[in-house]
Amino acid sequence: MNNNNAKAKSTKLNNPRLKNTEGNSTKKINIKAALSLATSALLGTSVVASCATQAQDVDEWQFDSAFLLYSEVDRVSASEAIIAGTKTFANDEVLTLKLTIDALTGASANGAVAQPNAQTFTRPSGNGQYVTAAGETPLDDTFKDTRVQLNGQWTQPLTENITGSAGGHLSKEYDYLSLGINGNLAYDFNRKNSTISMGLSFFQDTFTPEGGIPKPLSSMLVGDSSASDWDTEFAKTRVGDSENKSTADVLVGFSQVINRRMITAFNYSYSMVDGYLTDPFKVVSVLNNDGMAQDYIYENRPDSRIKQSTFMQAKYHFDDSLLNTIADVSYRYMWDDWGISSHTIDTRFAIPVGRTSYIEPHIRFYQQSAANFYQPYIIVQQEKTVFVSADYRIGEMTSVTVGAKYGMTLNGGNELSFRLEYYRQMPTSSGFTEPEALQTQNIYPVVEAIIAQVSYSF
Amino acid sequence: MHKTRSVQIEHKKHGHNINFNAMASPCEVIIQTQNKSLAKKVAQCVSNEVWRIEDKYSRYDSLSICGQINSSEGQKNAIDEETYLLLNFAEQCYQLSDGLFDITSGVLRKVWAFDSLSGECKNFPSATEVKKQAKLVDWTKVIYDQQSITLPQYMELDFGGIGKEYAVDRCILLAKLLTDEPILVNLGGDIAVTGPRHNKQAWQVAIENPESDVLDQPQDMVVALKQGALATSGDSRRYLMKDGVRYGHVLNAKTGWPIIDAPRSITAVAPQCIQAGILATLALLQGEYAEQFLTEQEVIYWARR
Repeated sequence: MNNNNAKAKSTKLNNPRLKNTEGNSTKKINIKAALSLATSALLGTSVVASCATQAQDVDEWQFDSAFLLYSEVDRVSASEAIIAGTKTFANDEVLTLKLTIDALTGASANGAVAQPNAQTFTRPSGNGQYVTAAGETPLDDTFKDTRVQLNGQWTQPLTENITGSAGGHLSKEYDYLSLGINGNLAYDFNRKNSTISMGLSFFQDTFTPEGGIPKPLSSMLVGDSSASDWDTEFAKTRVGDSENKSTADVLVGFSQVINRRMITAFNYSYSMVDGYLTDPFKVVSVLNNDGMAQDYIYENRPDSRIKQSTFMQAKYHFDDSLLNTIADVSYRYMWDDWGISSHTIDTRFAIPVGRTSYIEPHIRFYQQSAANFYQPYIIVQQEKTVFVSADYRIGEMTSVTVGAKYGMTLNGGNELSFRLEYYRQMPTSSGFTEPEALQTQNIYPVVEAIIAQVSYSF
Repeated sequence: MHKTRSVQIEHKKHGHNINFNAMASPCEVIIQTQNKSLAKKVAQCVSNEVWRIEDKYSRYDSLSICGQINSSEGQKNAIDEETYLLLNFAEQCYQLSDGLFDITSGVLRKVWAFDSLSGECKNFPSATEVKKQAKLVDWTKVIYDQQSITLPQYMELDFGGIGKEYAVDRCILLAKLLTDEPILVNLGGDIAVTGPRHNKQAWQVAIENPESDVLDQPQDMVVALKQGALATSGDSRRYLMKDGVRYGHVLNAKTGWPIIDAPRSITAVAPQCIQAGILATLALLQGEYAEQFLTEQEVIYWARR
């Protein structure tokens, strides 16, 4: 692929004696491409690198597309399509636009615990009820949503060593709107072997769930939803139509090239979230001393959260003796003022297979402690709590992801890859002793999911 | 063959210039660093590599692997992997050019002797002489595998058409292992760079006009090179006139005769130098269709006629 400027130049510099020989029957096989392959074989360089050197990519869009399926056993299924375009301009300015569309369907845990008998719940919208069979984890099966996300980012060199970047974010669901802006500065020094970066971002989210915002800690109304006074009674459990949340993040990063085989990165982030942080679809079971459900109350979470995290990453490119594998190992420690702390270890090994493809095994290990106000259920006699949530996502848990990606470079340099992963989430008890009726119930059900993705860059 | 070999390193404002002689050409390496010991390391590494390739593949050196193969009198000769890869590359070029490019065509120079100073061909050979030599040109008669090569008696291999460009690419690969600082390697006009100069600046590369000493001829042409390589094929000084026809010095391996109506020289751009060199040579072999060939292959090039 030649860039147009260079082509024009070559024509201009051609000797005027150049004859117009159009129509001549010279064979038109692609000798250049065949030579690239021969050269790669001779020099042991990758075809990708030798094809890409000339391409300047100026004034051309590069696209990345992906389609992802995420499917939990018996629960939520999500499909996601992503298309991202990147355009590089003459002075190294880069514009990236990304569109993501997700569709979610299926059932999601409503927070209540399994019981020896069947349980009836009112849908979050107030329109109708659903019944969970005895011994099963209560799932709200009305979960259905489509989300459209748009991201735009502009990056450009500001001075020789400073790169600036600014972007915007818009995400819209049926009952959710999120708007965000971000800015980032990166400073290269030590002959560009070191980079310090600092970023700020701000998000404003609005939540307008169907059926309104439930009144925190109020009892879920269960009964005949076609009764004449249902709507009036249901309205008493509501406090409004919508709520807001704002998030401000500060990120400081440092990356360092150690040598030509190794690169490391360190990040610290500080995040302040204010506003409505409760999940309006989640309830907590209120049990008697025997463990039998008496009531379900809507959860309530604090209206602010401060989250901090540190992240470190090392990438190492091994030589022939280890098949030129690229190892990517990272660790993240996150903690917040809700009492949650988590450890994430993520490892990937990209192993070249032949000259144009690679296989990348991936293992991720995640462990988190429960929020202070997390309780799988409440016992009637317990002192009145202000904040409570039985959402397993803020409880104690361990999760593991294992999988692999296979990527290949097609003729012409486009990349196609497939990813298949298995995810297993294992909630654990953070020291609660179960009352009698719950001893035969599975309070901490395991969630399993399969993730499949196809990506294509062109 | 004994040669005195030395490398000069000069400190310049932009970095260091490294100069040495190899493959009958002045060689130059520019490294954009103020680090003298790094420049020394690169100088040593690059010059040793070029001399290594010269010693291994020079057809003038009877001790070289090329010399040994040429004097094997039809016997099997052991080869190493590098040689095997080069032979494979030559095979590809033979196929792609439909036999016009043939590394056994060196024997033709025995009848086409161009004077190195005047460029003139003193003795225009007879058709019989050419025919006799051309019989010794046939790549398909060469049998080789990963371990050995068998070259029929009286035939000769000549890596001259790819050796210098190959050396340029090898130097770039080795230099990249030593440092990320921008480096340009220029072996007698065949040039490659490791990437753009600092601040993403392009390298300004002058392509020498062999006739710049003649009045009314364009001066050296300056080309901006950010990535990749360029190589020049052809020599406008070497040609001969006979019966009003201008014969260039590029020979058609199939007929044994010079190509008619080819540009005097072609400079082609490609990701790797050896590719650029072959593209330029293949274009010259197309004679009057040289430019058309390169245009169709979407190659950036400059042709001199």
